[in-house]
Amino acid sequence: MYDFTYHRPESLAQAIELVSAKCEAKLLAGGMSLLPALKLRLARYSDLVDLKAVSALEGGRREGDKLIIGAMTKHAAVAASEVVRQAIPALAVLAGGIGDPLVRNRGTIGGSIANADPAADYPSSVLGLGATVITNKRQIAGDEFFTGLFETALQAGEIITAVHFPIPLCAGYAKLLHPASRFALVGIFVAKTNAGVRVAVTGAGSSVFRFADAEEALNADFSPAALDQISVDADGLNSDIHASAEYRAHAIVVFAKRAVASALSR
Amino acid sequence: MHRAATSTRIGQPVPRKEDMRLITGKGRYADDLNLDGQAYAAMVRSPHAHATIRSIDTKAALAVPGVLSVLSGFDFLADRLSPIPNKTFSVHPAEMPLINTDGTPAFNIPDYPLPVDKVRFVGEAVAMVIADSIAAAKDGAEQVVIDYEPLPNVTFTVDAAAPDAPRVRDEHSSNVCIDAQAGDAELTEIAFRKAAHIAKIKTWIPRVAGSPMEPRAAVGEYDPQTGRYTIYTCSGQTLRLRRDLAIVLNVPETNVRLVIRDVGGNFGTRGAIFAEQPLVAWAARRVGRPVKWTSERSEVLVSDYQGRDLAVEAELAVDKDGNFLAMRGSNVGNLGSHTGNFSMVQKGLEIMSSIYRMPAAHFRARAVLSHTAPTRPYRSSGRPEVIYVMERLIDTVAHQAGFDRVELRLRNLVSQSELPYKNPFGMVYDSGDYIGVMKRAVELGDWNGFAARKAEARKRGRCRGIGVANYVDTATGIPREKAKLTVYPNGCVDVVIGTVSNGQGHETSFAQLINEWLGVPFDMVRLITGDTDVVDVGGGTHSGRGMRLGSIVIWHASNKIIEKGKQVVGLLLQKSPSEIGFADGQFTAQGGPVMSLAEVAAAMNARTDLPQELRGPLLAECDETVNDAGFPYGCHVCEVEIDPEMGFVEIVRHTTVDDVGKAVNPLIIHGQTHGGIAQGVGQALLEHCFYDASTGQLLAGSFMDYAMPRADILPFFTTEISEVPSTTHPLGMRPAGEGGTTPALGVVINAIVDALSEFGVTHMEMPATPERIWRAIRGKPQRSRIVPDSIEQEISLR
Ligand SMILES: Cc1cc2nc3c(=O)[nH]c(=O)nc-3n(C[C@H](O)[C@H](O)[C@H](O)COP(=O)(O)OP(=O)(O)OC[C@H]3O[C@@H](n4cnc5c(N)ncnc54)[C@H](O)[C@@H]3O)c2cc1C
Repeated sequence: MYDFTYHRPESLAQAIELVSAKCEAKLLAGGMSLLPALKLRLARYSDLVDLKAVSALEGGRREGDKLIIGAMTKHAAVAASEVVRQAIPALAVLAGGIGDPLVRNRGTIGGSIANADPAADYPSSVLGLGATVITNKRQIAGDEFFTGLFETALQAGEIITAVHFPIPLCAGYAKLLHPASRFALVGIFVAKTNAGVRVAVTGAGSSVFRFADAEEALNADFSPAALDQISVDADGLNSDIHASAEYRAHAIVVFAKRAVASALSR
Repeated sequence: MHRAATSTRIGQPVPRKEDMRLITGKGRYADDLNLDGQAYAAMVRSPHAHATIRSIDTKAALAVPGVLSVLSGFDFLADRLSPIPNKTFSVHPAEMPLINTDGTPAFNIPDYPLPVDKVRFVGEAVAMVIADSIAAAKDGAEQVVIDYEPLPNVTFTVDAAAPDAPRVRDEHSSNVCIDAQAGDAELTEIAFRKAAHIAKIKTWIPRVAGSPMEPRAAVGEYDPQTGRYTIYTCSGQTLRLRRDLAIVLNVPETNVRLVIRDVGGNFGTRGAIFAEQPLVAWAARRVGRPVKWTSERSEVLVSDYQGRDLAVEAELAVDKDGNFLAMRGSNVGNLGSHTGNFSMVQKGLEIMSSIYRMPAAHFRARAVLSHTAPTRPYRSSGRPEVIYVMERLIDTVAHQAGFDRVELRLRNLVSQSELPYKNPFGMVYDSGDYIGVMKRAVELGDWNGFAARKAEARKRGRCRGIGVANYVDTATGIPREKAKLTVYPNGCVDVVIGTVSNGQGHETSFAQLINEWLGVPFDMVRLITGDTDVVDVGGGTHSGRGMRLGSIVIWHASNKIIEKGKQVVGLLLQKSPSEIGFADGQFTAQGGPVMSLAEVAAAMNARTDLPQELRGPLLAECDETVNDAGFPYGCHVCEVEIDPEMGFVEIVRHTTVDDVGKAVNPLIIHGQTHGGIAQGVGQALLEHCFYDASTGQLLAGSFMDYAMPRADILPFFTTEISEVPSTTHPLGMRPAGEGGTTPALGVVINAIVDALSEFGVTHMEMPATPERIWRAIRGKPQRSRIVPDSIEQEISLR
């Protein structure tokens, strides 16, 4: 790890000031993605601005037909939250299936989506539920947020403060586990909303994407069987030592069905 | 079922006395030691699988604040240090020797801890930076400029054996270090001509990481006054390591003190000297301060010795009734970049036919160099590989010819009346009840109830399969061991011995021996190991030798203590020693206790009227060379369920019966079996040191990609111990540390293939990942990016 100056602001305003003052400053949330990169010397920053003490960023609540989760809310807290379990149980399931207990007790929703790992779980829920990402500057629609491999619409120094999830009629999440890290080799978030069905796929491409064929089929008939005739082209999907593109293409359909079954079981 | 211990004697499941220390962070591992003024080393490692080192420029690194020194192989040579010696073969008299078919000696070339000519695997240490802090050392390491000229590389075993493969050593005309034959070609040929059925297999047992919980570490210290080095490190041995360190450092052995305290796992991949051990000692001399190096997990994966990596082609000939007639084939073991140890090929081959009656056999065995990390014996060195091959062959022929898998095995197992039995490679199995143990395992695993469980699983959409595998291990290792026992007047006993616990619980099981033989309370026994200032003879812990040899020398030394005590008591009571008895820590006369062991020790210490040889501390030594091998064996049954939609496999039952001859501590043995199963299952389903064939890069270079088995993929095991005394051990003991692993690869794969047989699947390569199973079910070649294509293609052709 290279040397850096550590800051621990107690308010959002202070945090904003710190990140914008230094051009090489980086926000630190749970550190579960950032710290390994620093330890391996894959990244170098002059300053780290730790958001841990900014208490306004932590916690979740329901407001009408929205579930609001603060950026610094830990995966374990989302998994255990009664509010989340009532409003969007699939989101609690998703959070409870991230990594291992150590990761879940430090990693945060804001860090996860800002990091935009192609195999991360949360991005599928942001896209799948059509959530809105709230930052210190603006509101970003879930459909616009993820722009590529580890890339988002966030600007330098922009801080995610919360994510607003519209509450769907029902939703389900199912993932094919990476055998070592437990990230998603393929993760499917399915949501049935008044505006139609949304299906988001993580782990299979350079960034989370929507699965239009499945959405269409599920709009006609929201049941696993509706996906029986659907197939996915392996071309362009991720391929690595743990799963080929061909296997991922198959898994997308299987896990979409499993996500639908899970959505229907609640 | 586990019962509670009723005493602390031999045979009791006594909870381990070291565990509270180890699980509450009070273990003293090599990295826990910090010496005054200590500096830190960081290694500069090769990014290339194969490249010429054109130059090493250390200027910029030396300019980094805090950097004290930057050392390369050129400095090593300038300081007249020596390469690391290899111990290529086991020379144990019970072992089958491997000899080159053309009569030439095997190719063996010592390793330099830091090479000067070429790098030969990704992760090989090329230079060492010593600094005031780890951070400064790493800063410095980044600034070392090495000019490499990349060269073509070869990583896959079978490819490395090809005559036109990129060569690892210019000194040798090919990568093949030994090309030997074993068995009788002519007899085998004749037997094959008579065969009614022939089963064939072509397979590769992939390479895996040892993954000890404690990463490698070493602290070196040098005293210029005495010219003596002290090295604190983790290892499975003391005296051979000290000898090797002295050779490399070019000093007499007495100028090296080696200290090994708690060790967090060995499994063989940490059984031999590694480059960083002599390097920190040398660095300490160079910078005049103690130097510490601790590897990170990614360094563990990339530069620890690795295990397995054997390619096999084999055939089994069977007559019309199912009697085994002969087997033949060829094994190629991948040594990695150094000619370090040929055990995988030697120790595997000699028991290729396992415990089955095999009238004839003939095999070719080769060990090849490749541009990968060096391999070493890994838990049950060479045996899990060949047991897997044998058990796959049996299932294959059973399937081909319609034999019942259990009956076919029972028919061919060597019966008790045939023992001792000499196998076709010349190994002599001592004793055992192979048939009884197999029958018990099949019963315990409820083989007969399987059909009903399979039908029930079918209703849930799962394909259920069952497999069985027998195994044998050859336990040899360094034959000499020594124990020294001292009884103190307060009743405590110190045991100094040359074995090293790597987590196996020696403090507990060895104390049970003393409790049994000397009646000394379990808590009053102290085990002292791992410091060459105290331990002067002994072979360490490998090849099932810890308890097997430890028990013999402790037993003989205990008897000497008793004999000495009887003489003392005899003198004090004016009786002949033959009238004195000993039981439960008390010397007896005329049936009643007269003096305790502690009182005798006190008398010997205090009294001046005893003869010279009975004055002083009550101690005894036994230094013995044991040239017999031990043959633990057993039978495992595994049951799996497969989700055919995705190829997920779940192990639902795993049943083992292992014969350990005599169980000193069944609790520890069950624990060894559990861990051993996990390691075997890890290899069968998950683990793989995946080297990219084109670049030679290790793609599974962290635990984010290298998949370890976890508790949630394993069922509760049913483990049972059998105790048919070994006839090659005076106390009847057989080793018990490797039985969980040895048959695991074969039994798991057999169960998977059984589950998939309805889809026409006849074989499954390892690791049997969900994708591979999914492909097999759909009749696709099992090919995935998990395995080099050549093997995969062959399999799909059959
Ligand atoms: C062993 C292991 C297993 C894992 N398994 C999974 C898994 O199965 N599924 C999964 O989804 N993830 C997994 N992860 C990743 C984990 O979920 C991380 O917690 C997450 O990716 C990052 O969150 P963090 O809070 O730790 O962020 P950090 O690591 O602190 O930061 C990550 C990035 O986000 C930026 N950032 C953080 N907070 C904000 C903010 N409020 N606004 C703007 N930018 C911000 C940081 O600057 C940094 O660039 C795993 C991680 C580990 C170590």
